[in-house]
Amino acid sequence: MDLSEKMVTGRGNFVDDINLPGMLHLAFVRSPYPRARIKGITGGITSRDIDMKMASVGEGASAGFEYLEHPVLAKEYVGYVGQPVAAVYSENAYEAEDLVDTVDVDYEPLTAIVDPEKALSADPMYPGLKSNILADRYLGEDFQVDAPVVIEDHFVNHRIATDPIEPRGIVAAYDGKRLTVWISTQSVHTIKQGFCQVMNLSPDAVRVIQTDTGGAFGLKGGFYPEYVVAAWLAMKEGRPVKWIETRSEHLLASRPGRGVVGRMKLYANREGRILGIKGDVIVDSGAFAGGSGEFSSRFIAMQITGPYEINNAHIHALSVLTNKVPQGPYRGAGRPEAAFFMERMVDKLADELHMDPVDVRMINATREPFKSPTGLTVEASKPFLEQAVKAMDYQGHRKKGNFGFGWFVLVPATMPGETARILVEDRGIKVWLGGTAHGQRHDLFVKSILADELGVDPEIVEWQKGDTDQLKEGVGAWGSRSAMMGGSALVEAARKLREQVEKKYGKYSVSKLLDGKWDSYEYFHYDKPYTSLGANLITVSTDRYGRVRVDECISYYDLGKVLNMDNATGQNAGGCAEGIGQTLYEGLMFDDNGQMITSSIADAGVVKATMVPRYRLILHRSESTLPSKAKGLGEAPTIGTPVALSRAIEVATGLRITETPINPEYLISAVQEP
Amino acid sequence: MMPPAFEYYAPTGVDEVIDLLEKYGDDAKILAGGQSLIPLLKSRITAIPYLISLSGIKDLSYITESSNATRIGAMTVDSDLEYSDTIRKRYPILMDALGKLADPLVRNMGTVGGNISHGDPSNDLPAVMLALKATFVARGRGGNRNIKARDFFLDTFTTALEHDEVLTEISIPVWKEHSGGSYVKFEKGTWNFSVAGSAVQLRLENGAVVEAGIAITSMGPKAMYIPEAEDYLLGKKFHKSVISEAADIVVEKSQPSPDTYGSVEYKKNILKRITMEALENAFRRSGGVK
Repeated sequence: MDLSEKMVTGRGNFVDDINLPGMLHLAFVRSPYPRARIKGITGGITSRDIDMKMASVGEGASAGFEYLEHPVLAKEYVGYVGQPVAAVYSENAYEAEDLVDTVDVDYEPLTAIVDPEKALSADPMYPGLKSNILADRYLGEDFQVDAPVVIEDHFVNHRIATDPIEPRGIVAAYDGKRLTVWISTQSVHTIKQGFCQVMNLSPDAVRVIQTDTGGAFGLKGGFYPEYVVAAWLAMKEGRPVKWIETRSEHLLASRPGRGVVGRMKLYANREGRILGIKGDVIVDSGAFAGGSGEFSSRFIAMQITGPYEINNAHIHALSVLTNKVPQGPYRGAGRPEAAFFMERMVDKLADELHMDPVDVRMINATREPFKSPTGLTVEASKPFLEQAVKAMDYQGHRKKGNFGFGWFVLVPATMPGETARILVEDRGIKVWLGGTAHGQRHDLFVKSILADELGVDPEIVEWQKGDTDQLKEGVGAWGSRSAMMGGSALVEAARKLREQVEKKYGKYSVSKLLDGKWDSYEYFHYDKPYTSLGANLITVSTDRYGRVRVDECISYYDLGKVLNMDNATGQNAGGCAEGIGQTLYEGLMFDDNGQMITSSIADAGVVKATMVPRYRLILHRSESTLPSKAKGLGEAPTIGTPVALSRAIEVATGLRITETPINPEYLISAVQEP
Repeated sequence: MMPPAFEYYAPTGVDEVIDLLEKYGDDAKILAGGQSLIPLLKSRITAIPYLISLSGIKDLSYITESSNATRIGAMTVDSDLEYSDTIRKRYPILMDALGKLADPLVRNMGTVGGNISHGDPSNDLPAVMLALKATFVARGRGGNRNIKARDFFLDTFTTALEHDEVLTEISIPVWKEHSGGSYVKFEKGTWNFSVAGSAVQLRLENGAVVEAGIAITSMGPKAMYIPEAEDYLLGKKFHKSVISEAADIVVEKSQPSPDTYGSVEYKKNILKRITMEALENAFRRSGGVK
């Protein structure tokens, strides 16, 4: 049966489908307050039992401040609603939830810090800190230009729940020597590393096995407190332990993406040439270090100049503490924010100068490869833009009406490369990749690559889920990297295999390969960025209620060599839907006291089948120099869709768009009173 | 997402349901299709020690038509109405509502009686029943009692049903010729609860309104009918100014609260627009738009 068919007809084997004899079910007592001191806890597993911190923190700003490390279970303080405070367990999942009410926590509520911009100057959240600023870096050099046109704006991309249809979950078992974990994840190796670091276990003592994974979008590349408690309990009780996240827990306590403010100032001449950009990128990092918050402000600032040749740039990258769950990566993870800030400014410049938005883009595109003052390397973007405009029939759309165009540089997470293993036995072929698919169908491109490289029938190639006992090292499936890095590792492993066969028999043949038993492992190391270009054109219509209907989403992407077309169209459609979600519907909203007011998956705005447009993916073919010849894709539509769609809405309504999700109350203001 | 423990009964007759309701009092609640109650239990917003399911009672699912009324058994699922020729012919307003009531999976399980007796101001069928001037049949220890839809909805999650009464039937009058209705629901996204819903049913003579039913969803503590707007329309023919003024009256009588779906001002803005749309549809379906 086809893998997709299996997954959507209830025949997958997800982590919640695993039931082991004697298994215990775990439930969590979570903070109802965004910020409070804990005066006492009665009952449950608490920090008295598990006094561990999640991980050491990265950026220098947080070094030496123990309060900034996320505790596995809260000790004297809670920093966000949903933070795990205690855990309870039972042989019965229902009873475990009943037991949550038996734990008494005495809180002393404190005033929460909610707004990231106000947090910059608010009193520090923790004693010993000078401010709430977690990371503070300038990119580029300060400059002065004599610019006849200066444009300023303020942007907000609100936080978004990652909302995979399968929430987080884990089963942990311990046989007295070794911890075995079944988990829904993007990387078994990250999870293993997490256990080894936080629980001080030796690598030999941990095995992590991936279950069918029903979506992840960045969230499941991370390592979380609930996993530690499950493993700790399994080791203590000598019985398997299961924890399955509820949707309410997901909305409250799973790390969301976005949550970024941009304050931009663009300098240009009257012909539309951009002379420089200044601004602040402020990431709402949440209450602890160790999320992606402290790194992403710099990552966004680095990409600000996009596909343009801009010789002056000076960006202040700030990550700030707030009383919210720590920010995490969500499909795009900094890339959509950078494109949103820049492309919205370029559209505003075009409007200011009464120029066509693509003409302004053309003037500022580069004929030669270009390294921007913020550190972004771009290939010659002008030829790409010329071809994109033609392929998407930009001029034709100009005559017809409500549409928007946007383009971007995709910076895939290439480093440090990826691993692959091919095992041939019993006339079958099994393949493991270091990055484990979580819905993207890596099995398709794995079959394509081995059919090409080894000449085998794709039917006998079986892609395997992640297992640290089967593949000794690995990185992860995120950051638009799998076809590039995992694909290249697999190509190299296949070539090695071919060489082994040739060495033994003098000549390679499929029958000789399948007659034998072979095992080929490859770590394809790569330590440079490898960017590519993409563009989107989106048409919309609006109704008398100010509602926006997305009619068509055209993608023009440089994907290098497309390893499997079904993979590419699937990734494009899903990413466009998520880009539409960010722009029009998806947001996690908080009240002034720090309580989340988004209370269900319906309120969280996940896009449904009735809300998606026609998709069209047009390929700009230019093979990469990697062994797989592929370029990045996964995040491209989440970058291009919000910028093109925001512009289309601007054209349709006459309203300036600076915030996602766009408030329906704002949109209706463009429609005349009946 | 695991409900607290409860005892589950599925009796085969209404009398046994009444016995159990009397025995367990406020600790008991009737379970119909479970599309509202089960989520409330799973999210532990409520706990009900005794659930009495009506699923074992065979004769509560039917749609029968007579010359002056359509009778619907309370356990008839929403999708049965959606695919009923009788409903499609007689009540376009109900078809509008059914097509937008949650999603097809919910409609396959959710019942008409459950949608009405839950007393949720965001459910779609109460306003439609108010506009159609339906009558509900409640069976208690003493036998059947007819309750007009307009006397049924008292407050949020509160109806005129006594604790030991079971809603067994919904009776919708047949609206004579030159009548028609429309339900317009405005949702955030799709297949969601409404930001606002507006139900309009009209009957015309020589193009002028002789009978009107107007009611609204998600616009106050309960589904509300608006007699002032109904009275205003009597004798009026279709005109943009007429539907605008009637919609203004509806908006004035509405009592929305601010929430994640929007501010009071926004909800009233939406209500004005959807009420005008429902009025125009109702006039058109009654043959009143030239």
